[in-house]
Amino acid sequence: MGGMDDLYREQILEHHRTPHNFGQLAEPTISVDGRNPSCGDLITMQLQLDAEGLITDVAFSGRGCAISQASASLLTDELRGKRAEEITALGSPYVMELLGVEVGPSRIHCALLGLETTQKAIATWRNKA
Amino acid sequence: MSDWHTPGGQLDPLKVRAAYPILSTTPGGRPLHYLDSAATAQRPKAVVDAVSNFLLTANANPHRGAYTLGGDATAAYEGARARTAAFLGVPAEELVMLGSATEALNLVARSWGRANLSRGDVVLVTEAEHHANLIPWQQVTREVDADLEFIPVDDVTGEILWDRLEGLLKLRPKIVAVGHVSNVLGSAAPLAQIAPQIHAAGGLLAVDGCQAVANMPVNIPDTGADFYAFSAHKMGALFSGGGLWARAHLLNEMNPIETGGDMIREVRLRDATFAEGTQKFEAGTPDASGTVALAAACDFIDDLGREQIHAHEVRMLERVLRELPEALPDARILGPRDAKDRIGLVSFSSDLVHAHDLATILDRRGVAIRAGHHCAMPLHEQLELSATARVSVAPYTTDEDLDALFDGLRDARKIFAR
Repeated sequence: MGGMDDLYREQILEHHRTPHNFGQLAEPTISVDGRNPSCGDLITMQLQLDAEGLITDVAFSGRGCAISQASASLLTDELRGKRAEEITALGSPYVMELLGVEVGPSRIHCALLGLETTQKAIATWRNKA
Repeated sequence: MSDWHTPGGQLDPLKVRAAYPILSTTPGGRPLHYLDSAATAQRPKAVVDAVSNFLLTANANPHRGAYTLGGDATAAYEGARARTAAFLGVPAEELVMLGSATEALNLVARSWGRANLSRGDVVLVTEAEHHANLIPWQQVTREVDADLEFIPVDDVTGEILWDRLEGLLKLRPKIVAVGHVSNVLGSAAPLAQIAPQIHAAGGLLAVDGCQAVANMPVNIPDTGADFYAFSAHKMGALFSGGGLWARAHLLNEMNPIETGGDMIREVRLRDATFAEGTQKFEAGTPDASGTVALAAACDFIDDLGREQIHAHEVRMLERVLRELPEALPDARILGPRDAKDRIGLVSFSSDLVHAHDLATILDRRGVAIRAGHHCAMPLHEQLELSATARVSVAPYTTDEDLDALFDGLRDARKIFAR
């Protein structure tokens, strides 16, 4: 039960209510959509990258459950100044650390949507380059 | 009857619960309040016992063994088909036993559809269909360059606008494929009204009966359907199993889409002739144990009484419709307002609490509901919803289950409103 209360603790709810970096970039280097087909959560992740692959700006938009939107919001706070390859190496432990709580198997896909969409954006950007 | 009923003849869910061992378990250390029977019904012990008895005493490959046990297995399998056919009011010779309702609907689209649809023909479905009664039609119409058209839904309530059917029939659809009961809206299609209209326009009616057969009396001939598909696990039988009833002349005209053992008359190295009737569509060793389970589920449902099940579920749904807005005031309820117009379920959304968060918070009290698009993405798109929460009831649903539901909804409201 404790874990459950943690999942909906104030910090996560606050990010859900007022997500950080929410909206559109004026000139994103790359913009991709990520969707959980099983539940309909949707995230659009926009990145601005310099020629060396350094993330200089980020914005996201989307709709879905508190966990998917809050994890995307928490993640975007961390992205500026990171290099593309650093993001590619991240996985679920990183997202759990950001959320500060273990997310069970039935909701892990919600928690990872923001990161996976960011990784998809980077892969798409690489393919274009 | 008295085992499961009150002295007044109503279903007594507390007595019924005793027939389902899983309802006394405590997953995660919490009492189970199972409100997801529309996804899969729980299994009464009688069904599991029937399967176990078959496997332990009559197990052999049906239609083959020239020995007594083989005969017993054949009798059990064919007897189970006959029992299921009687349950649905159709002749056993017209009931094809398959792996699932999905397989049944694919058989209609791929066998009847490929043989009878060609360029410019129209197939009509509703915007509310389960993917299993949509994608097979998308596939076959694309293959043969036919047109797929839609009976629309109301943008707010999601209700299917059946009064648009008459206009759409001017397109002369070759087939109209609809759910008997919508797995999102809970509303029943007015089959007895629309079937004559469709037939008069020269079309056939295919029905996905998954959400109907366990929750209301269904006598297929009364529906006017030409094809009727249903699922075993939604009736409390096994995950494997489902069936397709079709009019005899349609079955005779249709080609099998799966071939192999047991569906043949004669096989030579370069060609084969097929068995007659249902056997033509049942390639390979039949699912005898699944069909035995299905017959046992029919027996059990009839023991409870289909009218009584329906009446009990309406009572439960009345309470859901009445108390849901108190527990979660911003709930947007899809489908009919009156519980009497519903079969088995209520879906809703809330701007305050997303359906997935709701399901997770309810799980804390052992309440199991479905959250998502329920395999009806186009309907959710139409309503501009990414997901809904769905509460579905069964003969074993009690007031305690609903108390736990409403307590959980109030928890969610408290968490998200702070």
